Amino acid sequence: MIVRVWGARGSLSAPGPATVGYGGNTSCIEVELADDTTLILDAGSGIRELGQRLLDRDRGTLHICLTHLHLDHVEGLGFFGPLWKTGWKLRFWGPPSTTATLRERVSRYLSPPLFPVGLSEAPAEVTFEDVPREPWRVGSAIIEAQTVEHRGPTVGYRIEEDGHVLAYLPDHEPYLTAALEDEPQWISGWALAAGADFLFHDSQYTQDEYAQRLGWGHSSAAHAAAFARAAGVRRLAMFHHDPMRSDRELEVLYDEVAEAVQGDQEQPLIAREGLEVVLG
Amino acid sequence: MERKQPDLVLIVARSFATKLATPTLIADAHGDLVYFNDAAAELIGRSYLDVGKLPATRWQELFEPRTFDEQPLTAEQTPSGIALLERRPVHGSFAFRGLDGRDREITVTAFPLLSQPEEAVGVMSVFWELPAAP
Repeated sequence: MIVRVWGARGSLSAPGPATVGYGGNTSCIEVELADDTTLILDAGSGIRELGQRLLDRDRGTLHICLTHLHLDHVEGLGFFGPLWKTGWKLRFWGPPSTTATLRERVSRYLSPPLFPVGLSEAPAEVTFEDVPREPWRVGSAIIEAQTVEHRGPTVGYRIEEDGHVLAYLPDHEPYLTAALEDEPQWISGWALAAGADFLFHDSQYTQDEYAQRLGWGHSSAAHAAAFARAAGVRRLAMFHHDPMRSDRELEVLYDEVAEAVQGDQEQPLIAREGLEVVLG
Repeated sequence: MERKQPDLVLIVARSFATKLATPTLIADAHGDLVYFNDAAAELIGRSYLDVGKLPATRWQELFEPRTFDEQPLTAEQTPSGIALLERRPVHGSFAFRGLDGRDREITVTAFPLLSQPEEAVGVMSVFWELPAAP
């Protein structure tokens, strides 16, 4: 499994000289499986450039796993190249809702007045499905999705291939659900991340910022580190960087997290555009 | 590693209960007691840390729920049991024996925790002690 980061910013795209090191595009991760199946985790603005790269490949099926439908996780869809080409099959997975189908919810963004062209006009073959309640197979991987603590219907993902596990919880506030030091089964998202080799986790805030934004659905970097420890994650990647955070400020935040590493955990890293991780 | 954990709705309900000053009890979809808060511990007579998770049958035995005229109540007849089985809110009053041996009369509002329209993952019961008769 090869994992590539195309966008690691949270909440709002943040291009510019102060963020050029880690990137300003919002959440998007490409996962290339051993059997060449392509998974795409979220469709933030990072999916635009990924789409351009995919157009160089043979047309096929892409599995797009949405954690939730806040704008920073779907805003890139309108400029995702394969959506606007015939021959591509886009299979969307996303969180269930009791009020509207996934297609209806995604279409709210991809329709006037928020976007000039409607989803129904896209030439690609597009399907939408709520994530199954039990793990399911996509290509050579088993995927598991569970609802996690964030505002509105939101899931996290666990992707397992040949015994290697990637966990993806970009928008997550586990501290609201339980003390992160004990009772792991009562911590939101714990089962998804348990024993993972690599975890992308919401690390949006400093501790001081978190105190001002309790309940907004995001984590401090320190809480991300504590969550990773509770779940026995081998390596944490700080993700969903605050749009106001410069590269330098991110590195200061990283230093706080790195100091808290314990036991068998590897040093964490700051997710950045262009990062490639090979699991297995 | 065993990775099973409760549904998020139950996790969040439990978290909510930890922050409430009103006595609150949480049971899972099987009726097993999975949490009660510190305010409830005052009436139950022991803390949740001391008691831990209790199967539905066990906590009914321990608390001996009964009507005010001393008729025993089964688990299915308590507000929590009705709320879970019938997936509807219930308000009722009954007597029980605390783990400190003291009998108490309480009024309870119980409601099912639905993660999907047809799926109850547990029940939340909020209760108050009734004032002693003069």
